[in-house]
Amino acid sequence: MTRVSGRTFLFFLLAAACMALLVLSSSDRLGPVEGAVMTAGRPFLITFSGIGRQITNLVNTARDLAMLRARNNQLQAVVDTLTIDNLRLKEIEAENERLRSLLRFAQLNPNYDFRGGQVIARVISKNPSNYLASITLDLGAEHGIKPGMPVVTERGLVGRIYKVRPLSATVLLITDPSSGVPALIQRNRLVGVVNGRAGSAPVMDYIPQDAEITVGDLIITSGLGGEFPKNLVIGQVVEVRQRDYEMFQQAMIRPTVNFDRLEFVQVITNFQPLPGPPDEPDSVG
Amino acid sequence: MTNRTGRRIRLNRRDLTGVYLTAAVLTLAVLAQATLLTRIRLGGASPNLLLVIVVCWSLLRGQTDGVLWGFAGGLGLDLVAGLPLGASALALMITCPLTVLGKDSVFPGSLTLPALLVLLATPVFGWVILLTKTVLGLPVEWLASTLYIIGPEMALNLALTPVVYPALRWLAQQARAGQVGW
Repeated sequence: MTRVSGRTFLFFLLAAACMALLVLSSSDRLGPVEGAVMTAGRPFLITFSGIGRQITNLVNTARDLAMLRARNNQLQAVVDTLTIDNLRLKEIEAENERLRSLLRFAQLNPNYDFRGGQVIARVISKNPSNYLASITLDLGAEHGIKPGMPVVTERGLVGRIYKVRPLSATVLLITDPSSGVPALIQRNRLVGVVNGRAGSAPVMDYIPQDAEITVGDLIITSGLGGEFPKNLVIGQVVEVRQRDYEMFQQAMIRPTVNFDRLEFVQVITNFQPLPGPPDEPDSVG
Repeated sequence: MTNRTGRRIRLNRRDLTGVYLTAAVLTLAVLAQATLLTRIRLGGASPNLLLVIVVCWSLLRGQTDGVLWGFAGGLGLDLVAGLPLGASALALMITCPLTVLGKDSVFPGSLTLPALLVLLATPVFGWVILLTKTVLGLPVEWLASTLYIIGPEMALNLALTPVVYPALRWLAQQARAGQVGW
């Protein structure tokens, strides 16, 4: 009989463990364990996220300095000094401004009855895996966050909560291929569905062939299906794809939200999504 | 504790130090992956630090160590990323046997071999994740994922290798010298 080496045995043992975990995780039986681990890891994620922000700020500052140096040599010394001295203050000011913008969201959008139902959350992790467009927030079930709640910024729709742990929550972004947002073109009220695409901009699908779409049209949520509130801004049409042999045309969309620079988001807690499919993401890619 | 042959396995202080250090390296890698490296974007992808670490460590210390690191690091990544638990762990473990290609390499000690293996392991990792999703009944965009995620990820991981490999080689040398037990 062939002898199995220790290395092979270990590999298959761990592979079997992975598969068991996959099955248990898919049926959501590991929720409490995942929640406990994420709760323990939350302070570290927040710390590292803060470090990342500081590094980004430093990189941006260096870039700005280089530009200023080229534009105006006379101000070089002043810029250097002020940038270093004011780095911390600038960060606080920018953070303050973002929070103020988020707080103004309800006032800027009087059609939405979200007053009293907004929670501002800090993004502590962005797209940790290339195969799932998601962000992690520093608020969870203990702060009233529930699966399905829409997540926005003052610039528009970000996504929806799909996984909630005691002190953190994961948001499925509208750019993920599994995300489908019922939408309409603001100008002519034509409806469609905005689907995420792997590694590229989202697309509005199911637009009838005879419909008139133009570059620059604003896309907003339609509220159909009950998963998202109406009239949240999604993005602008940047390209229209029309092929005679297809039933529908497609519109490439540039989201109004800059997903690479998300730091704070707003969770709309008093919107009740209608019961629908499970909250797990439907696909990855 | 006993092993399969019935002999007693005793964890000495050096082994425990190795466990702690492994945990520290992998925890730092997962945290850096989830928070710092996601700020570097090329196309639709960020560099995959854990994958580079697992491939390089597997090359330096053997497949068994690589598989263990892949399993532990992958679980951490799945927890943080919100992927089904076990998906990244399985994909990382599967990349380890690729290092057998470097066993009798003509490039010993150079960066060429780890770079080539990382280039090879990146699509393997990505396709295993996509395959896992497919098996779980979830729709997957194979072509778009390959073009817009795996492709850029290969370039980013390649760029990461010259930084990661020497650092891990130093750690491996310390381990061999008995300064750090693994």
